[in-house]
Amino acid sequence: MGFFNPWFLLGLAALALPVYIHLLRRHLTTPLPFSSLMFFERGIQSSTRHQRLRYLLLFSLRAALLLLLVLAFANPFIRRASVGVNDKLLLLVVDDSFSMKAGSRFADAKQAALQVLASRPRSQPAEVMALGGRLAILTQPIQDEAALRSAVGSIQPGDARANLGELAHGVRALVESVHSPVELHLFSDMQKTAVPANFNDMALPASVSVVLHPVGGAATPNWTVESVHFPAQLADPKDPKKSRVQAVIASYGTPAASRTVSLEVNNKTIATRNVNLPPDGRATVEFAPLDVPYGLNHCAIRIDSADGFPADDVSLFAVKRSDPERVLFVHQAGDTRSPLYFGAALGAATQASFILQAIDSEKSTDIDPSKYAFVVLSDAVALPSIFENALLRYVRSGGGVLIAAGTSAAHHARIPIYGGYSSDARSYTHNGYSTVGDTDLTHAVMNGGWADIKVYYVAGVDASHARVIARLTDGTPLLLEKQIDEGHVLLFASGLDDLTNDLPVRPAFVPFVDRAARYLSGSDDVSGSRLVDSVVSLRTQAGNPSSTGVEIIDPDGHRALSLTEAATAQSFQLTRAGFYRIRFANGKDALLGVNPDRRESNLEPIAPDLLALWGKGSAPPATSSASVQEKNSAHSIWWYVMLLVLVAAVAESIVASRYLGTQREEA
Amino acid sequence: MLQRFLDPGVLASISSLDLLAKTVVDGFVAGLHRSPDFGFSQEFAEYRAYTPGDDLRHVDWNLFARTERAYLKRYRGDTNSQLTILLDASKSMDYTAGPARPSKMDYARFAAASLCYLAIHNQRDAAGLIVFDDEVRNYIRPSTRQGQLHRLLAGLEQAEPRARTDFTKPLLHFQNLLHRRGIVIMFSDFYEDPASIVRTIEPLRYHGNEVVLFHVLDPKEIRPELHGPAILVDLETDQRLEVIPEYTRTEYSKKIDDHIEQLRSRTRGAGMDYHLLVTDQPLDTTLREYLAIRQGGR
Repeated sequence: MGFFNPWFLLGLAALALPVYIHLLRRHLTTPLPFSSLMFFERGIQSSTRHQRLRYLLLFSLRAALLLLLVLAFANPFIRRASVGVNDKLLLLVVDDSFSMKAGSRFADAKQAALQVLASRPRSQPAEVMALGGRLAILTQPIQDEAALRSAVGSIQPGDARANLGELAHGVRALVESVHSPVELHLFSDMQKTAVPANFNDMALPASVSVVLHPVGGAATPNWTVESVHFPAQLADPKDPKKSRVQAVIASYGTPAASRTVSLEVNNKTIATRNVNLPPDGRATVEFAPLDVPYGLNHCAIRIDSADGFPADDVSLFAVKRSDPERVLFVHQAGDTRSPLYFGAALGAATQASFILQAIDSEKSTDIDPSKYAFVVLSDAVALPSIFENALLRYVRSGGGVLIAAGTSAAHHARIPIYGGYSSDARSYTHNGYSTVGDTDLTHAVMNGGWADIKVYYVAGVDASHARVIARLTDGTPLLLEKQIDEGHVLLFASGLDDLTNDLPVRPAFVPFVDRAARYLSGSDDVSGSRLVDSVVSLRTQAGNPSSTGVEIIDPDGHRALSLTEAATAQSFQLTRAGFYRIRFANGKDALLGVNPDRRESNLEPIAPDLLALWGKGSAPPATSSASVQEKNSAHSIWWYVMLLVLVAAVAESIVASRYLGTQREEA
Repeated sequence: MLQRFLDPGVLASISSLDLLAKTVVDGFVAGLHRSPDFGFSQEFAEYRAYTPGDDLRHVDWNLFARTERAYLKRYRGDTNSQLTILLDASKSMDYTAGPARPSKMDYARFAAASLCYLAIHNQRDAAGLIVFDDEVRNYIRPSTRQGQLHRLLAGLEQAEPRARTDFTKPLLHFQNLLHRRGIVIMFSDFYEDPASIVRTIEPLRYHGNEVVLFHVLDPKEIRPELHGPAILVDLETDQRLEVIPEYTRTEYSKKIDDHIEQLRSRTRGAGMDYHLLVTDQPLDTTLREYLAIRQGGR
């Protein structure tokens, strides 16, 4: 027996109170006045003895009441054999993250899991889970040995990144549902990178005991392609600024070495470089020019690592070779500044190739917007209706439009395509300028550097049903996005010249135009690379009957979606490494190279002290089940003590009422 | 119904002794009018021929008018006596067993006030008061003067219990104060040796006084009720004694009964009257005794 809060035992000093009242003050009864004592005789001895005996019960009850109350606060517990092993759920979690592909880690983990299963009592329920990007439940708590072994056997190493925070979250949810103690066996390489940023996310409930089964031993030397910088779209292979691939090669736990890095296009090695890698460091390799054929190309950077983890020696990406796409820039007659600034910025952008075609808004009647990657309306709010309707159809079918409201929006209540009505324009010329106070950096078009922009004039626009990407310091929306069916409309409430603001002459303008161009043209979606477990948006509106079905071909060449899913799915999670070919609902084809999270390449295990802190130390796997049976656990009995307190209090009340009531009568 | 007005519990709620005495006596007298044994009004006894020197006020002038002979009317009880009340105002007289019951001192005060009222107002006797504890604290000379009743009642009001009883010292003064024979009534709880009490009071009797001892006790003094061991404090001496209920039920009861009996027998043996007044009993015992004595001394 012990106490969870032994400091409360200091309260036993309160026992001095009944001792004082009953034993030290026992002679001090209330004197009764009487006429004369001439007929009385002293009877101290018998009186005291009688009094002592009579109050002994009350004293005992009061002392017991105080004692029990102090004990209840001290929260006593008894050690007894913990819950029978049959009442304890055996939870087997096998790490199937990407790093488990290194060496024999995964096979070792499964073997250890099967051993634990074999050594458990047949009547003990067990559950099997797999820890990848998320915790996959493979069985319910069952006792069927065959089903459990089958579940363990069915686990295959994946490409996701393990996160012990996800594991703890899943176990917490499990404990809430099973209401029984859980013995968690984790079979993992215990990667350092699996620890979440906040250690508290790994906290497990008290009813969960952890038995760790580390596999893989110490850190394994490993070289990997950490990142690749490449043009997702390429128009001119001879353009030295864009036609190049830069790869960062990283090494973990390795000595200095020289490695061969090769660039593969459509499974053919087109270039090879030797790189000297420092111990435990990084080096950059550049391939230029990047000569790829027209269309979507499967590209890869591969390193000849000759290490124990060959799965991370390649980094996949897709490059789309096409002629430069045209961008329609509609401006007011006589406005030469805005096409100049926008065109220069578009040309300077490195990630995409576009040709700007600028026309007066009055001459846009016969223009078909669908021939353009996206459309820019600069200070052109009065559009020919034919063009405006065509532009609206273009947006609805997935096109993108950037509208710079300019100064003319003040003369026209309605902004074309955007649909909102402009309200009062705000001119800041009489009191200087305004600046950007708030930006939504999570949006694809937004980059830093907007805080220095001076805005002299901004059109008041209706921000309802729109996402505000940037606001001025006074809260006026500056940059907004509205989704219209499959298309996107970006509304810049000022102009693209340097009269209404100085954005065009600021460094932030070129990245903004680059990002906006890629976002509106959708070129980001059709090629490039992604991480495993990232999500691709397939369509913008769920259940839109007009949209066609999407199609996804996984790295194995199989269709990843059923027909029903193809018609309704809004997004798709890229769960495996390899090339995914996707046809979006707007008809665009895409090729995405999917790579595992490179943090998985760092095979350094978690520090032992951290592991001990989390799992209270890991027990040897062979003896874990036996130790469960012998383990004693502390069971709090304060609730029973409180019951005794209640009983003692009631008894004390009854006895004290009897005695003290008599005293009052005598008085 | 009128007996109700003699109940000490009821009387205790009357704050004015004057009103209290009037209530008691009137109620008592109203009850007596129906009694054949007692009569105190000026009853006609006989005619006696006038002889020179007789008081002309007593001549029956109506008879003289009819018969032209002068006769004097003689009445019973036309002699006046002197009543002296000795009131023990020692601290022990302050005892009461409960708030609803008058203390022994109050009871004695009520009885004394009623006696004074009866004596002065109804019997036209001279009445006086001596308040004592271990010495004489107040003396009001017996008199029939106007306002005597108020003086006596005021004396009774002012008599507050204090000090302890000692009969020896005051009795020397009593003998000096009581010049004329009469009726002496003493109210006390007599917590002394009976032989000593009788020996001390007996000299009063030698002067021809009718001496009556009213032994005032609370019922809880005769039969104390203790529910457990208790510490008792002597009201006069502040002495503390721890006693047990068994003793009070056996030894104490026997002792107090012996004390009362000895007091009764010794006082009667000395030619004095003795009456035990228990404070939960009506006051008429006192008045009855006084009238009986007066009847006898007529």
